[in-house]
Amino acid sequence: MQPILKFNLSTGNSEEYRIPETWEKQFLGGASLAARLLYDSLTPSLDPFAPEAPLLFMTGPLTGTSGPTTGRFVICGLSPATGLWSESHIGGFWGPELRSAGYDGLWLTGKADRPVYLWINEGKIEVREAGHLMGKDTYETQDLVKAEVGVKGMRVCVIGPAGEKQVLYASILSDHGRLAGRTGLGAVMGSKNVKAVAVHGTNKIPVFDLTAYMPLRSEANRTLKQDNEAHILHELGSAGAANYAEYLGQMPVKYYSQGAFPEVDKVSGSMMTESILAGTSACQGCVIACGRVVKLEDGNKRKGPEYETTVAFGANLLNSDLSAVVRLGELCDRYGMDTISAGNTLGLAFTLFEQGVLTRSDTDGLDLAWGDVAVIEQLLHKIGRREGIGDLLALGSRRFGAHFKSEEKAVQVNGLEVAYHDPRGVSGMALSYATSPRGACHNQSDYFFVEWGHIFPDLGIDFYERQGGAEKAANVARHQDWRTVFNALTMCIFANVDPAMQVKLINTACGLDWSLEDMMQAGERAWNLKRAINNRLGLTRANDKLPKALLEPLPDGGSAGFIPDLPAMLDAYYTVRGWDPESGRPTKERLLALGLDDIAADLWP
Amino acid sequence: MTAVFPSPEWLEGLKDKLNADERYREIAKNWEGDLFFFIEPEGNLKEQLTFYLDLWHGTCRGAEFSADPLKYPKPVFTLRARYNDITAVLLGKLNPMSAMMTSKLKVSGSMGYMMRNVPTVLDFVRCANEVTKEIV
Repeated sequence: MQPILKFNLSTGNSEEYRIPETWEKQFLGGASLAARLLYDSLTPSLDPFAPEAPLLFMTGPLTGTSGPTTGRFVICGLSPATGLWSESHIGGFWGPELRSAGYDGLWLTGKADRPVYLWINEGKIEVREAGHLMGKDTYETQDLVKAEVGVKGMRVCVIGPAGEKQVLYASILSDHGRLAGRTGLGAVMGSKNVKAVAVHGTNKIPVFDLTAYMPLRSEANRTLKQDNEAHILHELGSAGAANYAEYLGQMPVKYYSQGAFPEVDKVSGSMMTESILAGTSACQGCVIACGRVVKLEDGNKRKGPEYETTVAFGANLLNSDLSAVVRLGELCDRYGMDTISAGNTLGLAFTLFEQGVLTRSDTDGLDLAWGDVAVIEQLLHKIGRREGIGDLLALGSRRFGAHFKSEEKAVQVNGLEVAYHDPRGVSGMALSYATSPRGACHNQSDYFFVEWGHIFPDLGIDFYERQGGAEKAANVARHQDWRTVFNALTMCIFANVDPAMQVKLINTACGLDWSLEDMMQAGERAWNLKRAINNRLGLTRANDKLPKALLEPLPDGGSAGFIPDLPAMLDAYYTVRGWDPESGRPTKERLLALGLDDIAADLWP
Repeated sequence: MTAVFPSPEWLEGLKDKLNADERYREIAKNWEGDLFFFIEPEGNLKEQLTFYLDLWHGTCRGAEFSADPLKYPKPVFTLRARYNDITAVLLGKLNPMSAMMTSKLKVSGSMGYMMRNVPTVLDFVRCANEVTKEIV
């Protein structure tokens, strides 16, 4: 591996950190290796906004190698939203560019004494003034930094006003509209006074055996190009799933309180393609190109929404105006805010207003009427600026609900808002949300794809009834391990790559001789490591839960009458995982079996 | 009526089923699209098999076994599968969505139309399951 660039913003000291070889082999890279690197520094007393809090930008061993969807990177640290392990994955070109600059990661600590941006060029880091960039939105900031640095081919990732003002779901963006949306790491970057990180490099990205790797990546990309799922994503974007998700009762409607959304087609990927689509966009080396470019009435081309944003500002808030969804998504991007959490927190506000818990005196005089796009837009501005009611909404649904003595109504797990895949329609998501290391996340295991039939028999990931129970616990655990491998490689979960091919890509890129099971164990190892980090931060079995709203059956729609049997599912899951049912920790035996001896000693002194 | 797959009788039985099934008629009432199937040889199927179905507003307007692709140059959807995979779907051993998600059933055509009409597709497969007596 190439070194990690460690940089202390308080002192200006930099260091090239070499990763121990054993850790490379145990964790590969990406979020898994980041968890190992940050284990010691993520302590219960650490304030995520304290100067000593780390912010680690990591790539993986396939990043930038033109393998299947390998243009991504991940940002890790301590989440200000959850107080737990945080990883947020992002596409674009920034990760490959960092590797070309000679580093496999950027590890920030400390706090700059004034607003700055970092310029990493061919192995050298420079701190530049960013006072003039403060308050600028993410799109403007990217343009300004690029113009100022003026190096062709450079890439930049930035925060917006939401990150500067520490909105707890502030995101980090790069390459226009690619973003690390979840868990609020944009706020951590803001707390360090870092507005942007620009990178440029021309080095060749290291691959252990390039001669063997090249034909494999060609074959993998060729196969991926012919894949049905890739066709759907290319043609329709991820919102192409909207109609089917609504049919299954997977798509939350009216803040998870309604089972059906008859107007779903108006805000679907199919409709987007047939009405406003003007092109597609892709991350580095990606043959899918799921990104949308749309054209609205003003004639300007802009980023189109993916599934989560489409639901956040569509069915979730009872809005069926696709153009409005596009604009609201763009507003979040410009402020630098996660659309899932923003939409979810607004959904709670609208619910509480409807129930009379909130009144106009709480909302700066606004009537929170479902589907009122103008009101939604005003509220997003207020959040991004932390003005009026927006200052409370900026704290996310758990804290917003608690402020109005309604925390139990917030649809969140451990402080992270539930993504738009309702476990009443696809029950495996109950375990995905309840046990994810970063709160209610769909990217640690997008198990709904398995419920749709996207199975991996070679890995023991098979098809179960979508409204089943404990019998699918082992399946979910295997899928989490599989996706943890993706998150270590920084591969996109949209890549339907055959597991046998995946192993070959890893082996040739890293100089390993792994079997399928070795690969899966690497996933399981990192899953348990992240669990151990969270256990140290105070997480117990009591945290493995679902919000009340998801445990009440809906009268209509594709999930009508069903709720997941979470207690039974968790019992089975704990058994499969080898976790202690009392403490919620991985058992000492399990940790030792995974080669995590030092973690075992720490967790079970 | 049930019949052995693959056979002209099976396809005729499927056509009759689609035209008689009230549930299919309701779910597929907005469907407008013909399907051309290529089944690749495998196991007991020694040569490529083709068949064609013209589906329109919850009915089947036409069906042709061993259809010539040149006769139907622009079907709304072209579907390709290996024999063992298509028979697994017809016997209910392979979920049709799983067949699609894992590309065992390759689909060419408007994905937007397909994703919008998944319930119709699933009910079409139900009808096909119900007319399949056995597999050669």
